[in-house]
Amino acid sequence: MSPLAITATLIALVGASTLIGLVWRATTGRIHEVVPSNERIHVSELLAGAVAGSSATLLQFSTEFCSPCRTTNSLLGELATEFPGITHVDVDVTSRPALADRFSLLQSPTTFILDSTGTVRARISGAPRIADLRAELSRIREAA
Amino acid sequence: MTASKPIPASKQALVVQPGDRGIDPRGPRFSAGITAVLLLLVIGLSLSGATAPAATLRERAGQPAFILFAVITVLFVWGASAGVSRHPYGWLYRTLVRPRLGAPTHLEDPTPPTFSQGVGLVVTLFGVVLHLAGVPYGLVIFAAVAFIAAFLNSVFDYCLGCQIYLLLLRAGVIRLKADASA
Repeated sequence: MSPLAITATLIALVGASTLIGLVWRATTGRIHEVVPSNERIHVSELLAGAVAGSSATLLQFSTEFCSPCRTTNSLLGELATEFPGITHVDVDVTSRPALADRFSLLQSPTTFILDSTGTVRARISGAPRIADLRAELSRIREAA
Repeated sequence: MTASKPIPASKQALVVQPGDRGIDPRGPRFSAGITAVLLLLVIGLSLSGATAPAATLRERAGQPAFILFAVITVLFVWGASAGVSRHPYGWLYRTLVRPRLGAPTHLEDPTPPTFSQGVGLVVTLFGVVLHLAGVPYGLVIFAAVAFIAAFLNSVFDYCLGCQIYLLLLRAGVIRLKADASA
């Protein structure tokens, strides 16, 4: 390959990678509303001592070697103290692949927003966007 | 340790516990950046050579692009086993870069970045094996994959390990010793 062609290839590689990064940034952490199903999740079955919130539960699934999971854990914990009626439950699925299958988890962290009956109303893949989540939780609080 | 600025709430859980050695969180991203640049060099060198793979194993092993790629792979082995704190790039960061930056707002647990080194190792090992086996463009393809991962990590703080760990877990590729008793 000529030096020019090689340079062009490398630039294209960097360009494509930048594009991937920007697309990822734009899409990660978004709240995706879910059509309510009949399935009810009882968090106490997933994690001993877990308590569902009276208005909503932030159910987070994490794995062991995952920095964004820890960041999300802090964030959701803070939000749970800020909004009474909303609790945060963090389930480590590192050694529980069956759970990961049951909820079709593709990446960690994945967060479900459960309503008061334990029905999944929304899914968030990746570290949640703080502003969007806060707005969503305010909306839930107002509706309650 | 007194902090001049409060640690952002989102980063609280990453803060290393008192008594554990933590790392400056910018260090791994610096390392990923160096790796990305070196991988670009590998790809450039590889593309500037002949298109067909060299005939003998010895010739393939002696190509500059491969030698550099092998060095990168060894560095991943180092990072994955000794941990990112005891890594040459970590040393470079502490000696050259960090003195020029302000102090970090907090120190983080080195375990997730060390796992990422393992991810890098798997990708580059594929490239090493394919190249030595004489597969055309085996080196270039996997160097490109490794580049994309390192670039995304360095520039966008993207965690490839987080993305694929669950998928590998569900596929049964990763099995933890804890499972034996579960």
